[in-house]
Amino acid sequence: MQLINKIIIFFVKEFKISIKNLSDLFTNIVFFFLSIFIFIFSIGPDKQVLSTFGIGILWALLLLSSTLSLKKYYHDDFNNGSLIIMHMGGLSYEFIAILKIISHFIFVQLPFLITIPIASLFVNLPYSKIILLLISFFIGSLVLSCLGSIAASMNLLNKRNFTLSSLIVMVFSIPVIIFSVGLAQSQENILSLLNILFAILLIFISISPWTSAVCIRLALANS
Amino acid sequence: MLGFLINPNKFNKLTDIILKPLFYLTAVIFLIGLILIYYSPNDYQQGSTVRIMYIHVPSAWLALLTYSIMTIYSIFALAFRIPFGFIINSAVAPIGAVFTLVCLVSGSLWGKPMWGTWWVWDARLTSVAILFIVYLIIIFINYSFEKIEVKEKIIAIFVVIGSINLPIIKFSVDWWNTLHQPASISKLSSPSIDPSMLKPLIAMTLAFTFIGLIIAILRIKTEIILRKKSI
Amino acid sequence: MLLLNNLEFKRSEKTIFENISFSANSGKIILLKGSNGSGKTTLIKTIINILEPTNGEVFWMGEKIKKNIFNFYKNTTFIMDKTTSAANLTIMENISFWKNLSLSKIKKDEVIRLLNILELTKYQNTKVMYLSMGEIKKLELTRLIIEKKKLWILDEPYNNLDSSSIEIISQTFADHADKKGIILLASHYEPNIKDLEIFNLN
Repeated sequence: MQLINKIIIFFVKEFKISIKNLSDLFTNIVFFFLSIFIFIFSIGPDKQVLSTFGIGILWALLLLSSTLSLKKYYHDDFNNGSLIIMHMGGLSYEFIAILKIISHFIFVQLPFLITIPIASLFVNLPYSKIILLLISFFIGSLVLSCLGSIAASMNLLNKRNFTLSSLIVMVFSIPVIIFSVGLAQSQENILSLLNILFAILLIFISISPWTSAVCIRLALANS
Repeated sequence: MLGFLINPNKFNKLTDIILKPLFYLTAVIFLIGLILIYYSPNDYQQGSTVRIMYIHVPSAWLALLTYSIMTIYSIFALAFRIPFGFIINSAVAPIGAVFTLVCLVSGSLWGKPMWGTWWVWDARLTSVAILFIVYLIIIFINYSFEKIEVKEKIIAIFVVIGSINLPIIKFSVDWWNTLHQPASISKLSSPSIDPSMLKPLIAMTLAFTFIGLIIAILRIKTEIILRKKSI
Repeated sequence: MLLLNNLEFKRSEKTIFENISFSANSGKIILLKGSNGSGKTTLIKTIINILEPTNGEVFWMGEKIKKNIFNFYKNTTFIMDKTTSAANLTIMENISFWKNLSLSKIKKDEVIRLLNILELTKYQNTKVMYLSMGEIKKLELTRLIIEKKKLWILDEPYNNLDSSSIEIISQTFADHADKKGIILLASHYEPNIKDLEIFNLN
């Protein structure tokens, strides 16, 4: 019961903070749309071309936009010591990482999910593909949240070269991209691709809290 | 007996003795390899371009071997707190990166006359290219953290997670039907390569391994000295 | 209650501190005194188990804290030299977060009275980022009262405070010691509190 109270408190705080930083979120979404526009300007507005490349473009740009918010992941809480306070409030670092992943998924990735139907209008996607794209993004963005947790916690003490965290996310996101785009584009073997995507999700869900906790402990001990 | 594998001092002592003979041995094997390559037959399909293989295969083997060594040392270093593993990681990563680059470049040069293109998005080529980027990220991590205690552990964690890529590279040609030819040497039953080609290949692989070993020893020694200085 | 047994910490072969043993029983105020770089913060981080000691143990209620860390945390308030308030939340939002996280049963009028004493009432609904350093520090120190824990561990609590606030804080420490609490301070400033036990780190 106490634990549930603490979880609720955590999410209330995250919610308040993300409400107050709403403009950051909108900046990311505008970045997403603007890069779609730039993509279309650069390859030309041919409808046939756009509908073949559309899903790939959307997924790649979603990945890039979600790496923009990596610095928000643990840095504020780490710099002002809230991580220690939460830990002393009875939450283990692993559990904090899980909560952070969920809150990142809800407050950063899900808003993109809402904008995807609008974005897919620009690249001329057929209606049936949009649903598949939404499903693949729902699972894939959870994986991206896990990866973001690993990358951000690794770079807590990295003061010079923060682009590194984006690189780490992008390297590990390659299988997610392959199978998500495959899922959104496929006609027949949807179920098997969905299973593979779930398997990747399970792997990263099981890895990332531990890895993040190790990195957070390391950063706290050396700050 | 195997203390030199985890103890910097013993490592230094052993390598001081071993380094010079190893150097001469490598030179001899390399020379033998080159002579054998010169007298090796042309492939009936590929002509003399087949000789790129004698650089391509050893460097690919070393790229994977280096990463496997790093993975094993990272796991040991993290689990049993053996600081020597961290030294190995930061010393050996650039070597692996260079061999991966050699593998990619020679493969690309081989691909142009054979497949008619410098690059194809084939499973094995892609996964080796990713391995190269993983190596680069390890080097970047090495240079972007101030404290040694932090960066060595982060590198080790990254290496362990990145090792997911290894089996993908190794088995990519078996799992997916690709343009890249399947393994022809390590088949357990009988190698599908002619002995006249196998001999120079083995010589070159040995030579490359020893070259990598010598550079690794030198770099590890430097790393040990650097760490003593910074502490 | 709190017992440090032969604590030692080395960072890459360099000894930060060694042979530190003392015990703190109910009603005691202990000041860890030392010049800059004498390892005050490191010692406090070791006690709180953020850093692992290379040697020695910390005991709380006769148990090694490593074995039952959350039991130790349940009785501890830790004030860092950093400020743990979230910059874009208001004072009241921060306080309610701390209150709920530590499951404290402090009443609303008690919080108001606390803010009154520290002269923070008029900023109740101001975001923390608009406060001055001293005010943020004072807000941080309200955690001591809000969380209602037995053991207080403070790292440089007197930084950025004016003399009247120092007076109030010292008074609070004395009250807490009277109520059988334990206080562990690390500071280079020596406050004016009676029964202050000084532990020199140099």
